[in-house]
Amino acid sequence: MYLYNEFDQTLVNERVEQFRDQTTRFLNGDLTEEQFRPLRLMNGLYIQTHAPMLRVNIPYGLLSSKQLRMLAHIAHKYDKNYGHFTTRQNIQYNWPALEQVPNILADLASVQMHAIQSSGNCIRNTTSDPLAGVCKDEIEDPRPYCEIIRQWSTLHPEFSYLPRKFKIAVSGSPKDRAATQVHDIGLHVKKDGDGQIGFEVLVGGGLGRTPVIGQTIAPFIAEKDLLSYLEAILRTYNRFGRRDNKYKARIKILVRETGLETFKEQVEAEWASIRDGQLTLTDDNIQRVKNYFTPLNYETANDEALEQHLANSGAFRQWFKQNTKEHKQPGYRVAFVSLKSPNCPPGDITNVQMEQVANMADQFSFGQIRTTHDQNLALTDVKSADLYALWQQLTEQDLATANIGTITDMICCPGLDFCSLANASSIDIAQGITDRFTDSAIDTGNISLKMSGCMNGCGHHSIGEIGILGVDKKGEQWYQLTLGGSDSHQSKLGDRLGKAIAKDDVVDAIDDIVQVYKTNRTGDEDFANTLQRIGLQPFKDKVYDAH
Amino acid sequence: MTLIKNSEIVQDRWSVLEEGQALQADHNIIDLAYWNANKSELIANKTSLGLLVQGDESCDQFTDDLQHFELIAIHFPTFVDGRGYSLAKTLREKYSYTQEIRAVGDVLPDQALYLTRVGFDALEFSTKEAGLLALEKLNEFSVFYQTAIN
Ligand code: HEM
Ligand code: SF4
Repeated sequence: MYLYNEFDQTLVNERVEQFRDQTTRFLNGDLTEEQFRPLRLMNGLYIQTHAPMLRVNIPYGLLSSKQLRMLAHIAHKYDKNYGHFTTRQNIQYNWPALEQVPNILADLASVQMHAIQSSGNCIRNTTSDPLAGVCKDEIEDPRPYCEIIRQWSTLHPEFSYLPRKFKIAVSGSPKDRAATQVHDIGLHVKKDGDGQIGFEVLVGGGLGRTPVIGQTIAPFIAEKDLLSYLEAILRTYNRFGRRDNKYKARIKILVRETGLETFKEQVEAEWASIRDGQLTLTDDNIQRVKNYFTPLNYETANDEALEQHLANSGAFRQWFKQNTKEHKQPGYRVAFVSLKSPNCPPGDITNVQMEQVANMADQFSFGQIRTTHDQNLALTDVKSADLYALWQQLTEQDLATANIGTITDMICCPGLDFCSLANASSIDIAQGITDRFTDSAIDTGNISLKMSGCMNGCGHHSIGEIGILGVDKKGEQWYQLTLGGSDSHQSKLGDRLGKAIAKDDVVDAIDDIVQVYKTNRTGDEDFANTLQRIGLQPFKDKVYDAH
Repeated sequence: MTLIKNSEIVQDRWSVLEEGQALQADHNIIDLAYWNANKSELIANKTSLGLLVQGDESCDQFTDDLQHFELIAIHFPTFVDGRGYSLAKTLREKYSYTQEIRAVGDVLPDQALYLTRVGFDALEFSTKEAGLLALEKLNEFSVFYQTAIN
């Protein structure tokens, strides 16, 4: 993985001191709340219902065991012994004290981490495929390009006061596991006829109040031109993006109001003037970063021991089937660490669990951990012979719930419990769904369920196969259901099922939906296909006739 | 007002022409409307001219006339409006403008460094205190991933 040199380290250290000074000036009254706000946001610090919330970047979802131990230490020392992994592969702390934040940032800097631009109207952490570098279908490992983008975008002087936040995701495989179509810019690694690497560039996707699927602005941009092209898009957005209304300030609205063709012309005009300038990447630039991502030292291994373990234990078999995935290297598997146990809110993890996962990574997976968009973790390079021992250790930590991809592996925002913008709570609904489906989740098959406590959509409800959105009706909590959303390579927004549902009926309604699916599916047909074949009506009938 | 130029507090030689005011002897900053209305007269006059523009103004409106100006002042309506950064960068990079580019309006000392990195060589602050703090803030970082204009 990428390691900081002295230059990178100096930069994050200086950033810590800068923020320490800003915090002191704010606490002394020398900076107003209005002035401090964008400055603290650019360091990942929100002020929420109970306390500040600090979001820490995990660049493209890759952590070393040492870094994870530090995240555990921070949870213990400055927070209430837990952290929350987000849908953009980062971690959030819900209870730090403002005065302590500079110290937290200093602790992070000591393990090459930071919170720079993890919120605010600037370029956010670049996300990627959690299986980058290990999946079979990869055209090229996207992580070196993510790192190049990370460096270019970090403390970018021109793009730190954009109209609104800006998110970039990169996928290296034809199967999109990075939700690139719902990012401000989505990049797909491509190879041209001569085998040259480049990117298909998508622009104007996003979730939130007005969910939009991104469109292709350029079918192929050569790798050397990556940064100049990104800069051209960002400059066009910075100049023309709306600033009169924060709900219309994302690039998706600019692209829609300008029209993709005109927007593209503006970008290309800008690009023409900077294209072969200083931002051009040389082969050396790219190779230097690629050298940090060379294949791990895999041993020659086979699946004999695994076969034995599978034959011996049914519970292990179930976990293996649901929570592990194939690896490009024979004798190795990807193992997911489920953060969706029935005993805790989705995405939450304690400091003890973090430490244990760090130990498991050292023991079984080259000391590296990935964070996923579904708010789980993954140990991506485990010898199949070690899976049984790993499973045992995960089980001890309540991290082996065999539910990856199922309805109980849901995405859920903090909702009313923590968020000042919420219309409705999400965590207790999540708990209700978990209680209802824990025993039947595997039998039900894979269904992505995503839930947000308000239309800002932090829980990605609009791209869930089942989406749940909290709405406020005269001070009461109601929930709007959608069906058929998708964040795969064919992203799609879900369709509204009908009128909103009262809080007490939500879990029953989800149960109805699942029953309609189970009754109508043929063989192992998945939810999306069944829905497409039979349409919304049978689901509507069942849900609204019943209540 | 406190003016910082090339990392020093300096005396400001320029005055901004208010509406209806007559030209000063020298070093007048005028806005685009005034320039457009009085172009030939102003060129004939041969006083030193500066142009005041808003961050959101499209540069096409004045880039043909750049040779007449010894200074471009870019106004920030609020410190979170980042358009002025792109405008300054464009003037330097695309139009090779080499004379003074000044940041005026709502500008925080904390922004001094980024402003100079995109091509502003002069920063105007409303108090001496803010100016002094800005000077400190100019040295906050010793390393950058991006190359700078200055
Ligand atoms: C508790 C405090 C939180 C607050 C106040 C908050 C606020 C917001 C707001 C206002 C938006 C809409 C922004 C826009 O449309 O421009 C948003 C979007 C989003 N938030 Fe949060 N959020 C919170 C927590 C979270 C958490 C815990 C996660 C991850 C699990 C998250 C992930 C996201 C994502 C992925 C989006 C959508 C991005 C997009 O529109 O493309 N947020 N958030
Ligand atoms: S979706 Fe709404 S309720 Fe949920 S975290 Fe985001 S802003 Fe808060």
